[in-house]
Amino acid sequence: MTETAIRVEDVRFSYGNLEVLHGISFEVAPGEILGFLGPNGAGKSTTIKILTGQLPLKTGRAQVLGMEVTADDPVVQAQIGVCFEEKNLYELMSGRENLRFFARLFGIKDLDADGLLRKVGLADRARDPVGKYSKGMRQRLMMARALVNKPRVLFLDEPTDGLDPVSSRAIRTLIKQEADRGAAVLLTTHDMFEADELSDRVAFINEGRIHAIDTPENLKLKHGRRAVKVRVREADGVSEQSVSLDAADAGERLGAAVRAPGLMTIHTEEATLESIFVEMTGRGLEG
Amino acid sequence: MSRPVSRLAIVGAIVRKDLVEYGRDRLWVFLTSLVLVVVIALFWLLPGDVDESIRLGVSGLDDPVGSLGLAAAEEGLVLVSFASAGDLERVVAGEADAWQADGGTLVRDRGSSEPLPAGAREADVVIGMAFPEGFLEATAAGEQTRVTVYVDGSVPAEIREAMAGLVRELAFAVAGHPLPVEAPGRVFVVLGEDRAGNPESPREGFRPVFVFMVLMMELFAMAALIAREIQERTVTAVLVTPASVGDVLASKGIVGALSGLGQAVIVLAAINSLRPHPSLLLTLLLLGSVMVAGTAMLAGSSGRDFMSTLFWGMLYMVPLLIPALAALFPGTASGWIRVLPSYPLVRGLLDVQVHGAGWADTLPDLGVLLAWCVALFTAGWLVLRRKVQAL
Repeated sequence: MTETAIRVEDVRFSYGNLEVLHGISFEVAPGEILGFLGPNGAGKSTTIKILTGQLPLKTGRAQVLGMEVTADDPVVQAQIGVCFEEKNLYELMSGRENLRFFARLFGIKDLDADGLLRKVGLADRARDPVGKYSKGMRQRLMMARALVNKPRVLFLDEPTDGLDPVSSRAIRTLIKQEADRGAAVLLTTHDMFEADELSDRVAFINEGRIHAIDTPENLKLKHGRRAVKVRVREADGVSEQSVSLDAADAGERLGAAVRAPGLMTIHTEEATLESIFVEMTGRGLEG
Repeated sequence: MSRPVSRLAIVGAIVRKDLVEYGRDRLWVFLTSLVLVVVIALFWLLPGDVDESIRLGVSGLDDPVGSLGLAAAEEGLVLVSFASAGDLERVVAGEADAWQADGGTLVRDRGSSEPLPAGAREADVVIGMAFPEGFLEATAAGEQTRVTVYVDGSVPAEIREAMAGLVRELAFAVAGHPLPVEAPGRVFVVLGEDRAGNPESPREGFRPVFVFMVLMMELFAMAALIAREIQERTVTAVLVTPASVGDVLASKGIVGALSGLGQAVIVLAAINSLRPHPSLLLTLLLLGSVMVAGTAMLAGSSGRDFMSTLFWGMLYMVPLLIPALAALFPGTASGWIRVLPSYPLVRGLLDVQVHGAGWADTLPDLGVLLAWCVALFTAGWLVLRRKVQAL
């Protein structure tokens, strides 16, 4: 058993003269979810395409389960599952037929397609053509398709992008279950809440460079600001004050604020991943 | 580590999937079925034989068959006797119709509702000879007479000349003189199947065209299947599994060839044309289907959406269709059509189905067709592979 499911070392990639990856390096362990957080065009999908053999690796080193990644390598591809950003399903075939077809490509003849569909809440639509599925249903089917071969490494490219909260939650639950099963998960997203909730570690990627990689908690501790925001109703309106927890008189100030008549709300002002991302890269996660 | 899946199993799975998709695409199923039905129906609606005889209307002779019979038969003419030159002129001019009945020739104004006797058959008279009264006696006496020849505008010049010769020959016969020259001896050497008296019917001539129409339909259907796989990027999902680009391309080729061959065989069986050399015909059709599958890969890879796929399909189809159309009108096509990939296929089909050619006769066409198949399939393979890899 290899200790590292995905290893990427100094990988560079260019589309023509445009370099989109400037020497990125990271590792993902089995059972770990690495959130790849960055805006559109940051290099997230290109990284996944290289690791899944869709794009040729030109410079650097990329390994999946200890094997060098090359295009059309059936040994590597038999061990991975991919959930694409675009909904590339066979629309004239049913959900069940889609899963069974992909299972046969892995040499699996006895796939429990209905069990898999039940997992993603599509058991009652198993026989319907995918063309009649909603966006959320298609995304859930894409997720189920990525799991037909019980992959040891999962590549998920924006798996909840544009989905309703119910579908998003169903997919997040499934991702956690897969990681618990021991699958390494590389999850690209520009949804900071998703990354925060799911990821064991988060990598900030922008313009083809990884700016930081750590657990969400550590990133917040290192780069965030520890403070509490207190809102108090007063005679002439509502007042708001921020109490830094790192200040020498933090306890006193916080105690005074809590005891103040007209206390309305107290919120921690913990940094979000997005604010840290903006601070580090100078740009937001959207767009 | 799981056991690696065999290439054969992967290709088989993709072929099965493609056939399912193909069968569920209502548009293509409808169009394919429509073409099959139309082609088969058209074949049986087309005339199965050809009436090559020309009917010559004659007036002014008491016994036209006795006077003209032998000479007319030599020219391939069937005599229709008219009571007057006026009737004859109106019929040739298209103002009236002639009907042959037991009591002789009846002339009715066009569109007339006057009843006809039972068993009357329409006589399509396009040439008429009006002999003057006392023609035989006057000619025998060496007197100058005048015969009026009426011809429809569509009658070729050589037939008009033949009529002049016929009158001259008749005059010599009536006058009791031999022809001024001795006719030279003639030897006919028939090359290939002798179709004298059994000319190629429209039904026979259209057979290769019908088969070709089915293959062309297949080109569109395959191109659409391939284009959809590229446009919806489902092929990308397939390529991150143990399936390779080669597996995808091989399956597309197999589906295209099987589908084209299957439909062509259905058409040939339905029009009773799988004879006289079924194995040779199947070989020709298989090669034709592979050629079409290769062309469909080119067209499917070129299109960005349904309309552009249709456009590219047309662009590839039109040159391929030219030899089939040229086969309908022998002698109209220029020599350059021989370089078109579909030419050996159409010629092979024509030779086998119409002229009864065998393996030895068709071998050169099979060789050229095979070379085109390899070239087009390779080109389609390379273009499609490049397209898939660029997704």
